[in-house]
Amino acid sequence: MAIAKMNKVYLIAHQAEKKEVLSILQQAGMVEISDLQAKGAGREPWAELVESDQDQEALQELEAGLTDVRFAMDFLNRHYPAKKSLMDSLGGSKAAVSVRELDASAVELAQISKDVYSALRAADDKLIALRNEETRLQNLKLQLLPWSKLEARLEEVRATPSARLELGALPAAELAACRDKLAALEAVILEEVNVDRGEAYVFAAYAASLSEEAQAVLKEHNFNKQSFHDLSGTPSENIARLDEELAAAAADRDSTLKSAGEQAAFRDSLHRYNDFLIIERDKKQAVASLARTSNSFVVEGWIREADLPVIKERLSTLETVEMVARAPLDGETFPVALENKRSIAPFEFVTKLYGTPHPYGVDPTFALTPFFIIFFGLSMTDAGYGFIIVALAALGLWKLKLGGGGRKIMWVLLAGGISTIFFGALLGGWFGGLIPLEPLFFNALDDPMRLLIYALAIGIFQIFIGMAIKFYTNVKEGKILDAIFDQGFWYLFIIGLLLLVAPGLGGIAKLMSIGGAAGLVLTQGRTQPTLVKKFLSGVLSLYNITGYLSDVLSYSRLLALGLATGVIALAINTMADVLPKNIFGYAFMVLLLICGHAFNLVINTLSAYIHSSRLQYIEFYNRFYEGGGRTFVPFRLNTRHIEVVPEWQEGTGS
Amino acid sequence: MEVIIEQMGLAFAVLGAALAVLLAGIGSAVGIGIVGQTAAGVVTEDPDKFGPTLLLQALPGTQGIYGLLTGFLILLRIGLIGGAGAAALPLETGVATFLAALPIAFVGWFSAIAQGKAAASGVLLISKRPEELGKAIIYAVMVETYAVFALLMSIMILFSIQF
Repeated sequence: MAIAKMNKVYLIAHQAEKKEVLSILQQAGMVEISDLQAKGAGREPWAELVESDQDQEALQELEAGLTDVRFAMDFLNRHYPAKKSLMDSLGGSKAAVSVRELDASAVELAQISKDVYSALRAADDKLIALRNEETRLQNLKLQLLPWSKLEARLEEVRATPSARLELGALPAAELAACRDKLAALEAVILEEVNVDRGEAYVFAAYAASLSEEAQAVLKEHNFNKQSFHDLSGTPSENIARLDEELAAAAADRDSTLKSAGEQAAFRDSLHRYNDFLIIERDKKQAVASLARTSNSFVVEGWIREADLPVIKERLSTLETVEMVARAPLDGETFPVALENKRSIAPFEFVTKLYGTPHPYGVDPTFALTPFFIIFFGLSMTDAGYGFIIVALAALGLWKLKLGGGGRKIMWVLLAGGISTIFFGALLGGWFGGLIPLEPLFFNALDDPMRLLIYALAIGIFQIFIGMAIKFYTNVKEGKILDAIFDQGFWYLFIIGLLLLVAPGLGGIAKLMSIGGAAGLVLTQGRTQPTLVKKFLSGVLSLYNITGYLSDVLSYSRLLALGLATGVIALAINTMADVLPKNIFGYAFMVLLLICGHAFNLVINTLSAYIHSSRLQYIEFYNRFYEGGGRTFVPFRLNTRHIEVVPEWQEGTGS
Repeated sequence: MEVIIEQMGLAFAVLGAALAVLLAGIGSAVGIGIVGQTAAGVVTEDPDKFGPTLLLQALPGTQGIYGLLTGFLILLRIGLIGGAGAAALPLETGVATFLAALPIAFVGWFSAIAQGKAAASGVLLISKRPEELGKAIIYAVMVETYAVFALLMSIMILFSIQF
């Protein structure tokens, strides 16, 4: 119940057994391999004895294979998305394949994947070429469309030795002026073919001897020459031909896509091969972290103490493996794995959302679990909603094959739902009063002040627990004075202040608060060098009481969120109530109630979840938590599409 | 004159309800809009991020809900809905009800926009590091705290007024 005890482990074995060792480590998923190469480089005395053990070529080959498989999967997903059932997309039940099966089918899978890849790559290339061709045809068509009224054949609109013939466009507004000027030059014709969107499309003809003058006039009026060199026939003939070609290209594209779609049958094989390559690549990458001599190799890593015997046993089938394990040295940082009882392990999810605790710090999971559950319930405070959350979470756990994270969320929601039923029945209603049951304790809507005081009291209690944890760790580390000065005096001071309001305890309360304050003034500046500074720091430390005050006030959100749920539910009910009492009214009422309450439930569950988390991270952690740890990431089968069953689990039916 | 003052109480209370919904709602709409713009950009690159970005986009929406809630509570307390119909309110009660709406109206308005900006940055955070969704949410929720406090004060004032 806390941060797992870690051991540093060294494995030394003969090169011949390297593959087996890595396979066993990967399938066990218990050892985090440290990068000896990075660590040894130029610093450790042994660095000269060993050499890098990485096979760049093989690694690159695997990466290239992965890129190809991913291309094929992406192509299929883009054009032929896999049909997923709702359950699949929520939970995603993965096909289970044993390592042995996967290895045995590797050659076959590689062949399939290669064939699929080349087919799809060819199809993709063709699709790109077709797309370019279509764009080109479309552009040409757009260019030709304004000329569709021109009856001349395009190949005839050419320069001849004595005349110049041109097609071009100019702003329609300038057409008249341009024509007048050209008329002044003789032997020039300007014929309007079409006017479209302010552009006049014209046919111009002039004698070769006049070309300079004619061109000058045309240029002056923004004449834009258009040429259709390689086309023959009239524009409308050309447009008809382009339409045919476009239709042919579209048909070609459809048939290419359709024949590529036949490869979708191999999607499962692609998924398997993808995961096979990932496993192989991970092994090759792990090798790069090892150190080797000519005949042996060394693995350095971290392992949970509890897993040591398991790994020892698994490796015992090999002949040359020697394994040494030791506890971390004093102050040596190790990767952090959280270990909690099954009942609170799901709440590690809440812990990890914030970060990983320091290896020598405290795992806050056990402490935050009860508070999180209570806060969640108080933020909802509607028993009806509680039942729905419990039902949905139970359904999720029972019906969906969720991954580790998903299951944890469901468990957290289940616990939160039960708490919601509890606090809802005590203080709130059932669907905002839809089911008219009186609250068992008191109605929060009638007496919010009372609930506010309870909420703040829970806050004070949680902050005290946080201080107690710090007190305990201080004592454990032998810093008893720190525990008394930093936590003890604050306890005295705050409890004294709180008791001031209690009748009949005024004397003791005054004594406690003054004593606590005096203690703080005298001790909080103890790290300062001079006496004056010690005293000043001590006095200033009393200002921290505002921190405690604002932290406690922050718990008032529990009341606000609880009231919000109830009042919005009430609002939905009231709106439904004003509907007319006839058949349509009733139908709409049912619809409104279902949608409204579903919306309210979702929004408030989200709020309850995040605000309950926030109270842990900001108000609770503040008192004791030390972060900055690194999460334990064991070397394991890290597959995406299929669940690979390790050899030692085969036949256990999982 | 007498009649007008009699009517003013009710008018003030209704004005409060309207302002609570109005200002907090405007804030939420702007805040959600800000997140939506950023989210759409991120989803262009990676359509799989729709779910987490939608979650972040929903966060600045709560202020609007708090405003609606306060408005509804006011109408309920003064008897405009759910009761026997509006009775005339004394002027001071009406003004007090109006004032009760102000915390959530104004804090809701500005905090929703600020929260929208924080959530929009959160969207960018998860576009690079999808596993850090939790932290992105927490940043946005830090802002919401003040909307919750404002709602709390609005409700407390409202419940302490004798109708």
